[in-house]
Amino acid sequence: MADGPIGEAHVLDRDFAGVEAFAPATDRPAIPLAGPDGFDRHVRRDLRKQEQAIARQFMGGTMWPYVVAAWGGFALWVSLFPLTMLGIVPLWLAFVVSCVLATGGYVTSHEAMHSNIARPGSRYRWINEWVGQVSTIPIVFPFSMARLMHLEHHYHCNDPQKDPDYNDEAPNALMAWYKTWYNRQPGVDGSIHAYKRILQQMGTPEAARSLKETMWLQLFFMAALFTMAWTGYAIEAALVWWLPRHIGLSYIRFYLSWAPHHPRAGKTGRYENTYVFKSRLGHVMSMCMQTHIVHHLYPNIPNHRTRAAYFALKPVLEQRGVDITKL
Amino acid sequence: MGQAAVKGLFRWMPFLFGIGFIAPLIAQSLAWWDISAPFGMSRIAFGLLIGAPWGLYAVLRGRWI
Repeated sequence: MADGPIGEAHVLDRDFAGVEAFAPATDRPAIPLAGPDGFDRHVRRDLRKQEQAIARQFMGGTMWPYVVAAWGGFALWVSLFPLTMLGIVPLWLAFVVSCVLATGGYVTSHEAMHSNIARPGSRYRWINEWVGQVSTIPIVFPFSMARLMHLEHHYHCNDPQKDPDYNDEAPNALMAWYKTWYNRQPGVDGSIHAYKRILQQMGTPEAARSLKETMWLQLFFMAALFTMAWTGYAIEAALVWWLPRHIGLSYIRFYLSWAPHHPRAGKTGRYENTYVFKSRLGHVMSMCMQTHIVHHLYPNIPNHRTRAAYFALKPVLEQRGVDITKL
Repeated sequence: MGQAAVKGLFRWMPFLFGIGFIAPLIAQSLAWWDISAPFGMSRIAFGLLIGAPWGLYAVLRGRWI
């Protein structure tokens, strides 16, 4: 799996990073057992084993609906162009559908980013990759860039220097919505501009390929808009692609980045980098982000199962200091 | 060489967007609502008068507003 080390040894090493390794000079036990949260090593190990046993029950499952949603959604989205240009589908309806597809595409792509549809080496791997490839075209966000940046977000969640999504942070919801738009301004180092900079700094072959794909997709997007606009279909281009893309990007940034991770400052620990929250729009409309903490703990649990997994994990999460009062 | 050209293209993209998309969008929106352009201009001339400077402003300021 491409999500970095998740084994028990790694987790225990990390959780015990702040514990003294040598006997202190003062009158304390020769072998310190307690970690920063007051639990000793054995309690931590037991809790982690309980957590993993519960989480395993929710990993995998039926994933074909994501494939149908991604490919069917993309086909429907492409069809909206001729259907509106020929006047078969009213523009208002196409606009609403396109907004839903542009926003929802990130969810299917997100599963592909974590290889939840088919693992590397699987005979169905190509399905995973093509779900990712087509899902984020409406928001002009190539899958290669989306995957690299999202995995960086997981590795370095809430690290102001290394988390590519850190600049979505804002003091309140209203400012967060504003920032989703502000970060896309041409001269602001946010959103896709920041991603491009980070990919250049990474300097890997994957990053170079991702930058190239981003360039081509953005040029294609502009060429499509300009061509449609100058051939008499500017309003169709605006309502089927340009505006839904902006609405989708803002919605995704707000619900997938700001809402579950605010406040970010200093919250980098496994059980503190993601919050449980209650959305005014409910579970589905918030794209299952109320229980996003489950995804950060176990990215192999599909998005639609994080809610059930959260309620099963709740007693363990409470013991680990997670605020479970909101849900 | 190629990379510099692409960088230059993206640097000026808001200006191109103003001409390539905003101008015809304004013109066609006026036509949609059956509104004439002011000062006897054609709708596309009016669109270009708004779109091109707006795009140029976005290039120079780094913000659309």
